[in-house]
Amino acid sequence: MSLDSEIIIVSGLPRSGTSLMMQMLHVGGVEVVTDHVRTADVDNPRGYFEFERAKQIEHDTSWLPSTRGKAFKMVSQLLYHLPPREPYRIIFMQRDLDEILISQEKMLQRREIAAAPREKIKEAFTLHLERLFEWLHDQRNISVLTVNYNELLDNSRQYAETISEFLGNIPVVPAMVQAIDPNLYRNRRTTPQSQNTSS
Amino acid sequence: MKIQIDSSLYERATKASATAGYSSVDEFIAHAIERELKRLDAEDAEQQVADQLRGLGYIE
Repeated sequence: MSLDSEIIIVSGLPRSGTSLMMQMLHVGGVEVVTDHVRTADVDNPRGYFEFERAKQIEHDTSWLPSTRGKAFKMVSQLLYHLPPREPYRIIFMQRDLDEILISQEKMLQRREIAAAPREKIKEAFTLHLERLFEWLHDQRNISVLTVNYNELLDNSRQYAETISEFLGNIPVVPAMVQAIDPNLYRNRRTTPQSQNTSS
Repeated sequence: MKIQIDSSLYERATKASATAGYSSVDEFIAHAIERELKRLDAEDAEQQVADQLRGLGYIE
């Protein structure tokens, strides 16, 4: 694969580990596209790695060719607006949905926005992901690698190797592994087996 | 349970169900309703997802 011709996108639901993946690609040697508008905060101490123009993709795709060979972050629902004329490599982050929702609720609370009832939004996210993966499967110009955040933390090296291979062995594996800080794994779902968790 | 529909619509549904290989027009209509309900559920879910993403600052 030539990284010069394909566009790398890190996607997933908010709080699924997309910022961590961007950090891994960045230190691994992949050029990341970010505008630093949304700065680091308590929810993402290492920064969001966001690119505001990606949020406008429904109305403006003129910036897209300049991201060939580079990586940017895009939330799952916006993937439907990717023009089919470009080839994409998508690293799609997945995480225990309850953990995602706990984390999102805390983030909404800090933004003083009321959260939707947990079960209702969980059902909506589940349906959203089902439909999105059906759609992704049908897109001939899109290759997808799913990475489970929970498993990534447990098997960092193995996952880093898989990710590097998916991206033509461009990202440097040891550097990617070093970018993973398990201390940032907060909002862990509490189970009888894992009571000693942080917020 | 009975549902009333326009006779010309019923005729069109009968023809379409035969062409599409359904065993009866009832099966065809049930399938059409199911598909529409699924579409509406999906639309509702995407709206809820959009509201959540907007609240979190991930879409505009």
